[in-house]
Amino acid sequence: MKREISFRVNGAEATAVAGGGDRLIDVLREGLGLTGTKEGCGEGECGACTVIVDGRAVNACLYPAAEIDGREVTTVEGLTGPDSTLGPIQRAFVECGAVQCGFCTPGMIMSTKALLDGNPDPSDEEVRDALLGNLCRCTGYVQIVEAVRRAAVAGRDR
Amino acid sequence: MKGDYVGQSLVRLDAEDKVCGRATYPGDFEMEGMAWMKILYAGRPHARVRGVDCAKAEALPGVLAVLTSRDVPCNEYGLQYPDQPVLCGPCDKEGADEVRFVTDQVAAVIAETEAIAEQALGLIEVDYEDLPAIFDPRQALEPDAIRLHPAYPGTPIHPELVFEFNVASRHRIRRGDVESAFEQADVIVESEYEIPGQEHAFLQPEAGLGYLDEQGRITVIAAGQWAHEDRAQIAHAMALEPEKVRVVYPAIGGAFGGREDESVQILLALAAQKVERPVKIVWSREESIVARYKRHKVYARARWAARKDGTLLAAENHVVADAGAYVYTTNKVMGNLLLTCNGPYRIPNVKTDVLGVYTNNLPKGAFRGFGAPQGNFIAESQMNKLAEKLGLDPVELRMRNLINPGEPMPWGSELPDDARGLKDSLEAVAERLGWSRDESGYRAPAKAARAGDPPHIVRGVGLAIGHKNVGFSFGYQENAWAGMELRGRGDEPEEGLVFAASSDVGQGTRTVIRQMAAEALGLPVEKLRVEPTDTAITGSSGSCSASRMTFMIGNAVRGAAEAVLARWREGQRPARAEHTYLAPKTTQIDGQTGAGDPNFSYGYVAAGVELELDTELGTYRFPRVICANDVGQAINPRLVEGQVEGAVIQALGWVSSEHFIERDGVAQTTTLSTYLVPTIADIPGEIETILIENPEPHGPWGARGMGEMPFIVVAAAVQHALRQAAGKWVDDFPFTIERVLRALKQER
Repeated sequence: MKREISFRVNGAEATAVAGGGDRLIDVLREGLGLTGTKEGCGEGECGACTVIVDGRAVNACLYPAAEIDGREVTTVEGLTGPDSTLGPIQRAFVECGAVQCGFCTPGMIMSTKALLDGNPDPSDEEVRDALLGNLCRCTGYVQIVEAVRRAAVAGRDR
Repeated sequence: MKGDYVGQSLVRLDAEDKVCGRATYPGDFEMEGMAWMKILYAGRPHARVRGVDCAKAEALPGVLAVLTSRDVPCNEYGLQYPDQPVLCGPCDKEGADEVRFVTDQVAAVIAETEAIAEQALGLIEVDYEDLPAIFDPRQALEPDAIRLHPAYPGTPIHPELVFEFNVASRHRIRRGDVESAFEQADVIVESEYEIPGQEHAFLQPEAGLGYLDEQGRITVIAAGQWAHEDRAQIAHAMALEPEKVRVVYPAIGGAFGGREDESVQILLALAAQKVERPVKIVWSREESIVARYKRHKVYARARWAARKDGTLLAAENHVVADAGAYVYTTNKVMGNLLLTCNGPYRIPNVKTDVLGVYTNNLPKGAFRGFGAPQGNFIAESQMNKLAEKLGLDPVELRMRNLINPGEPMPWGSELPDDARGLKDSLEAVAERLGWSRDESGYRAPAKAARAGDPPHIVRGVGLAIGHKNVGFSFGYQENAWAGMELRGRGDEPEEGLVFAASSDVGQGTRTVIRQMAAEALGLPVEKLRVEPTDTAITGSSGSCSASRMTFMIGNAVRGAAEAVLARWREGQRPARAEHTYLAPKTTQIDGQTGAGDPNFSYGYVAAGVELELDTELGTYRFPRVICANDVGQAINPRLVEGQVEGAVIQALGWVSSEHFIERDGVAQTTTLSTYLVPTIADIPGEIETILIENPEPHGPWGARGMGEMPFIVVAAAVQHALRQAAGKWVDDFPFTIERVLRALKQER
């Protein structure tokens, strides 16, 4: 049964009508026009739709929309500062060449954000585990790993 | 030749939009009054469509129209030859009422919502007469096999498209006398290979938007690799002048050859014209996997001969490739396979046959490397086996047989003077892997277990080298268009616009175009803007494929810059100019002997891998992979490194975990949880990229093509390393755990 839910997206109040099999990704993309979150597979395998719900990285293609009632959602659009300044992870991805086609990038960045928020100095293994669910077909991941390391250093230096 | 901008690792133009989620991909567009489309697939591998009844579907509230075969004015399409119906069913075109693979398209529903369109698909009633089907290309060659396509007249521009029975394309090389050479041989290596297909698995599934623009042009926003070819194929199927059609490329989520042929473009155009409203389609991941062409699966027999000192005497290769249901680019892919399957070696006697054969499997087509990965695997596996059998070092064997610049390749044309990269890349990889060299030649590092390795861990080192053509070949006059506009009032231009129809599939072509334009114009890069890829404002720059775009568009940009600067100096304000670059001519190759001059440029590459195998589990990892690639001149080294790394990992996936399975024409690996592309946990411990820069004389600032080259040498290098670790040559891959364990068991 559908019902009205209210939640916060990127710091702003939002409402939606959701229920049953409605997915978070559709509320974000179609309902709120936040098309930065991408759908690559619809089954939680590729991670392109990764967003953060209450501090945890989730696949928005699997996450039931109704479950965000009362929660805080962060999408890639929420990482940019005032005047469109890039956040430290975004900047590191740009500088390290971690972006090619860019379709995996928003999800990759959100997984990185969830990792670094909870663990500012991750080991290589922790980086690997955090990004295991985010597929990239272009870069071979090498420059992505470099970007995550640079973002971690930038975050600690602040 | 480095410059102020050429040779500098500038940040990509589109990186900031992409990290902020602002870049718009085909599925991100919305328009006022937009409708949705869904496609009905046949669901059977071979059948005649006797009729399509859409009455119930059309009666469903919210359905705007249902398209079937009779709605397509010229019901055929195809990049090389139009052998595929846009929609299968009765119509004027002979053979268009046949379904030839399970995801051949039969109808398209346009509705107010995607859900209604989906629901209506189930209401379409199709009357099929099922026909016998063929799934193995070797069986399709049997004399009593059914014929899958009507006879075609053939086309003089593609003489290798033979349409003989089920043979779609045929290529041959005949040089010397193979049989008598085998009689003189000291050593002969014979092998049978089964080289797998591959799914592109770009992250962005096919999607697009069709609408009528403000001038009434049928406009399609989609992801492709050649906007003007998309336009031509849409116009052909709709029987329209190309100028009535417009194709626009937004951000594109990967391609790797998989967007070279049409997917949603033609139907979007037909739909927009039919309902006179914007129409959107977004494919699911499953559609993206099951409804599109793949890399060719190849069956090969190879028999190579050498003298005791390693001198190659003869190579005989017989290759049968599964083309699937339609030709797509099979004929050209097989051409490249032909030119790579004997390696870059001096072989006096060569006999090669390459057949592309129709079946009722999914069509096969372009995928990074375009036949060279399969061809290279045959050649390099044979070389590694010969080295072993001769008791010669594999690097030494190659050095003794490499064609020198100026010497003829098996098809008669000379290896270009700038081909030092073959030797340089091999030397670089061998040195990094620990090879030494003394008066007796190259010597591999001593094979020693690493201290601390448990007994079930064994190691191997492997390598391979290769070459691949840059650009369209075989007599096609290569060309690319670029335009420029300089604005300002004073002596110095204040702003410059660069026009090019280059598809940025992720490789960063637009970034590189801007760098080359800044270099050529002598203007700060910040003053230049690269305009969108849009057939309404650009000429054709050709396809983003064949490792050609930087080479071709760079030359076009140079020409346009020279012309626009001349006009600027003459006082034209704004100054405008365009230039079409024509590459050196190539020729078709002889149908009987292969003789000809099919290419104008090559890239050269080598790879080395260290493999660590767990003999109990059959699992393996790569502590280190090295790739040395002669790129002529890296226009943007950071982007070039990204191409090398991405290609190497994609190739490691092809060799190890990506197992595309078709059974009776039906794809079994239809999701990313069954078709396993490499994750971040699968990458080598260390991946070392070595960029060699021997300038290509025709390339812009010396650049040569490189996007495919690192892919092609990886498979043979892995097989070589696995042989050392597991004790057996495994001639079919991917090297799954099952195959590795079987090899280990046979060995014991």
